[in-house]
Amino acid sequence: MSLLSDPKGAVADLTRPEAWVLGVSVAFMLFLLGALLTGALGPTYFLFLVGLAGMYALLSFGLNAQWGFTGLINFSVAAFFGIGAYGSALMTASGSPIAGGFNPIVGLVVALVAAFVLALLIGIPTLRLRADYLAIASLGLAEVVRLIVLNERWLTNGSAGLRGIPSFFKGWPVLSTFPETMPGIRLVVIPGSPVILETAFWQASLNVLLVLAFAGAAYFVLRRAHQSPWGRVLRTIRSDEDLARALGKNTYSFKMQSFILGSLIMALAGVFYTHLNLYVGPGDLDPITTFYAWVAVILGGSGSNRGALFGGIVIVTIREGTRFLNDVALPIDPAPLRLLLIGVVIVAVMRYRPQGILPPQRELIWPSAVDGGGTPDTPESGVREQKGGGSDE
Amino acid sequence: MSPNSMDLVDRRTLLKLTGGAGVGALAGCLSTTDDGEDGSDGSDGSDGSDGSDGENGTDGDDGSDDGGDSTDAYEIGMVDSQTGSLSAFGERNQRGVNLALQRVNEIGIDGRDLEIIVEDSESENQGGIAAAQKLVNQDGVPFLIGAVGSGVSLAIYESVVEGTDVVQLSQNSTGLNLTDFPGLLRMSPSGRSQSLALSNLITDDGYDEVAITYVNNDYGQSLTDAFVDAYDGEVVYNSPHDQEQQSYSGVISEMNSSGADAWLFITYQAEFATMVNEVYSSGYEAQFYGADSVSGDNVLENTPEGSIDGMKIVVPSAPIEEENYQSFASDFEEEYGRQPTSWAAYAYDCAINAALAIQAADEFTGAALQETVRRVSGPEGEEATSFEAASQILADGGGPDDVDYQGVSGPIDFDENGDPVGFLQVLEVQDHAYEGIDFIEG
Amino acid sequence: MTVLGYLANGLVFSSIIVLGSIGLSLVYSIADFANFAHGDTMTIGAYTALVTFGAVGGLGGAVLGLPYGFFLALVVGIAVAAVVAVGTEKLIYEPLDVDSIGLLITSIGIAFIYRAVIQIRFGSGFTRFDIQPLRPIESLVPYGVRVTLHDVAIVGSAAVLVVGLHVLLQYTDLGRKMRAMADNPDLARVSGIRTKRVKLWTWVIGAGLAGAGGVFLGLFNQLSPRMGFNLLLVIFAAVILGGIGSVYGAMAGGFLIGMINQLTPFFSNVVEALPIAPNWLETVLENLISIEYANAIAFVIMVVVLLVRPNGIAGEGAT
Repeated sequence: MSLLSDPKGAVADLTRPEAWVLGVSVAFMLFLLGALLTGALGPTYFLFLVGLAGMYALLSFGLNAQWGFTGLINFSVAAFFGIGAYGSALMTASGSPIAGGFNPIVGLVVALVAAFVLALLIGIPTLRLRADYLAIASLGLAEVVRLIVLNERWLTNGSAGLRGIPSFFKGWPVLSTFPETMPGIRLVVIPGSPVILETAFWQASLNVLLVLAFAGAAYFVLRRAHQSPWGRVLRTIRSDEDLARALGKNTYSFKMQSFILGSLIMALAGVFYTHLNLYVGPGDLDPITTFYAWVAVILGGSGSNRGALFGGIVIVTIREGTRFLNDVALPIDPAPLRLLLIGVVIVAVMRYRPQGILPPQRELIWPSAVDGGGTPDTPESGVREQKGGGSDE
Repeated sequence: MSPNSMDLVDRRTLLKLTGGAGVGALAGCLSTTDDGEDGSDGSDGSDGSDGSDGENGTDGDDGSDDGGDSTDAYEIGMVDSQTGSLSAFGERNQRGVNLALQRVNEIGIDGRDLEIIVEDSESENQGGIAAAQKLVNQDGVPFLIGAVGSGVSLAIYESVVEGTDVVQLSQNSTGLNLTDFPGLLRMSPSGRSQSLALSNLITDDGYDEVAITYVNNDYGQSLTDAFVDAYDGEVVYNSPHDQEQQSYSGVISEMNSSGADAWLFITYQAEFATMVNEVYSSGYEAQFYGADSVSGDNVLENTPEGSIDGMKIVVPSAPIEEENYQSFASDFEEEYGRQPTSWAAYAYDCAINAALAIQAADEFTGAALQETVRRVSGPEGEEATSFEAASQILADGGGPDDVDYQGVSGPIDFDENGDPVGFLQVLEVQDHAYEGIDFIEG
Repeated sequence: MTVLGYLANGLVFSSIIVLGSIGLSLVYSIADFANFAHGDTMTIGAYTALVTFGAVGGLGGAVLGLPYGFFLALVVGIAVAAVVAVGTEKLIYEPLDVDSIGLLITSIGIAFIYRAVIQIRFGSGFTRFDIQPLRPIESLVPYGVRVTLHDVAIVGSAAVLVVGLHVLLQYTDLGRKMRAMADNPDLARVSGIRTKRVKLWTWVIGAGLAGAGGVFLGLFNQLSPRMGFNLLLVIFAAVILGGIGSVYGAMAGGFLIGMINQLTPFFSNVVEALPIAPNWLETVLENLISIEYANAIAFVIMVVVLLVRPNGIAGEGAT
């Protein structure tokens, strides 16, 4: 039942949390729309935030592919994010100490390859470990990666970071000059407070386009993977690894594949970040990014892509929304307040709704089972008939 | 089925109509901006003022404004380190800026106040970029004072400001790399002069071997590189250290093993205080030298008496003999109960310079401010040592070239790279307090 | 500095790590999850002591360069850390209906909350105890050992606490019950041990030791809201090296990791002095074994241990 053909039915069909989330999201979107049209919220800044939300959503998708699908507790998200960012930056930045000036597509490819290699390096020692050891070990190895990036100046420019990164669409036929060629638009919904959309806005919208493309691709791939036989094995591993092994599956290999898939998606988030920010530094590998991604996944619902998206948006709201609290004189600094909020969210979710707000439900059911309604069709003939030929009666 | 499909059609049609109507309504509100609009990017709802020369009154704006009346404040932005490793600088900046705002708003800029929206960079590049994004794209400021820390300022410039018309003036950045970016102005002089001065100082004191440790960021790296270039003697130890570590005993013991008797520290107060304590409790002795950021109350309060006596530090300095600095210092003391640091003086001058640039500009846009910001404090024109005096010159019909604001931190006078002329002072620690022993002009 | 000097520093740092790792190992074995809030428990102990010491002052005399008031502050820090941990256990962990991974994740949230509260109250910068730093002990300086009386106090107090714990574990009722629960929780419950009570006492002891570690860390270096969290991974490395579930293993692991951490400059000198055959290998080793990577070395050791001998030095079965 899709929203278009039978909206009333579709809405009635939603579970309570889904309906609640839908309601809140719609209200929030209307609020944002109102703020945009009246000029209270700058459209370029808004698109920047959307880009950030998309990035966190990508990170969550990647983590979902590891934790949600296969139950791998990966605390090295920041390392893969950083490798993705540094991989593309080192290739494309004019200030890069080892390369530079290449086309961003080359940067993308290099970033993904680097993430692949790093996934092997981190995965091989850790994936055989049990869950909590995997957590600690992955966190430790991520710190090692961060230290290497920070200290090996000849490779990464050290703490100065990389600058001079071009936009992702540099060199593309139409898109590279799109921001300049598009006319500035003035939108006056409420007389007297115009909304100006100019070069920076079009540039930002290009970025949003990019992250939507990345996120859409990741979402599509993950959805197909989840419902495939491969995904089924992963889910078995998650709930009972011994059973999977007893069924003859090489669980280690499956875990590695899932780990790599997730890491590639996280690196994709890093690549986007590079071209959004036009600057990368070792501070981007701080473990806090790992914890943000985890909060997004836990809050949204482990194993659920929609949940990951929801979680990503919540994270950006917390991160940048608390900035607006500066205007309201609070007795508390926003930075520790943010930390407190994240902590409280984690504890609250684990206490009251450990499966997350939007746990995967319908996502786990094969479409044919739902849309067709009821049980799968019974076959025309029985097995014995098929094998033995001819009907029984 | 028919009634349902009829409903279906109706619903679909309804959706289409609503969508179409919505788009139509929006289209009706649309127009293009190719008629001399305030071209600053993403500015919405900010005052599009005209360039009245000191007259009060009419906006003369072109109807697309939010009808803001002529008493709305001019809003500019500031990215400051309110939290994080550089928060001490942030505090000093705020004191300087608030004092400047008092001065400016006593007189006003063409009858309007100056307001500064401050965002926190968290002393991190990423935080600085996010802060600048908000200020430039959400609040639409045409003038940005920011940031503390050379790396942060550069990141902001390259990521947010470059390619726009926004004027960026950093209050505290001494890293050398900013010189390569003429569009990025700074009020604190380049560290190159500090590195040169340190090199001369150490050589003159008779040390031909030195051990260096520097904070692992843009500031530390660039100052150290410049020092190593300039120094004639042998650098027997040269190693970075990370910020915000609990302990630096490894670095300290390595410096001691290097055999050098002169140790140079290019780092921040918190890190240096830790090192001093560790040197003290390890019983090491050496002649200490430092770049600007190792000096401050934090160090004096957190280190034992006598632990750094004899240390020499080169700091960018306000010309403390000048009259305008004296009056600034006494106002500051009255307001805050303490003597100002040069960092507060820089921030003060940033705000004053911005105010004058706004007053001298034709309109409150980035492009117009770019034209005036260098000239109001540039060497041409009548010298004015306070906002009041400079503002008067402009009010009397002068243009930006007719006034030369002399800041409390020095004559300013941005060169073609956006760097100001710098004064340096050599401080020596005597009886666990800083005493100025020499002045160097940059 | 001589080898002896590095060893002495290592001893002091180890004392702190040991106090942290014992606590973590205890909680791991009896409450059965990796407590990521352990580092921030150390921070709580440290800041409580800061406040107490600020309030009571020196209280007259001093021993080993540390005023009596400091020792009082130490006790208060231990107590408060224990109370906070027990409170968290009763309010948060116990009512939770999740497995050990869920508890791990929750403990991360708790860690953030602890740290945020401290940062809100004390700001994000560094502070020190208001105690005069001391010069190194004269008689040891000729041997290249540069330790102060404070360092001696740290080692001494840690030794006292560790010995006390040993006595508790081996010779008291509670200790026996704790060891039984660590070995086989179900059997322990069946044999009549009040497991909930024992668990609470474990939290008290584990968090109390962590609080002590935090106070000493603040004395050894400085206090900052991130102090505990920064050390957490190193402590995990120590616990894993020693073997999860074994208190004595945690002591050994803490000792080793602390030593290795402080001996890194020494190792770095050794590597530089040795002629290593392939040139690239020499460069790589020289780069990687240097003080910037001191913590990283601990992590790598941890991973190697996990691969080669997951039980650690003295631990029980890993799976």
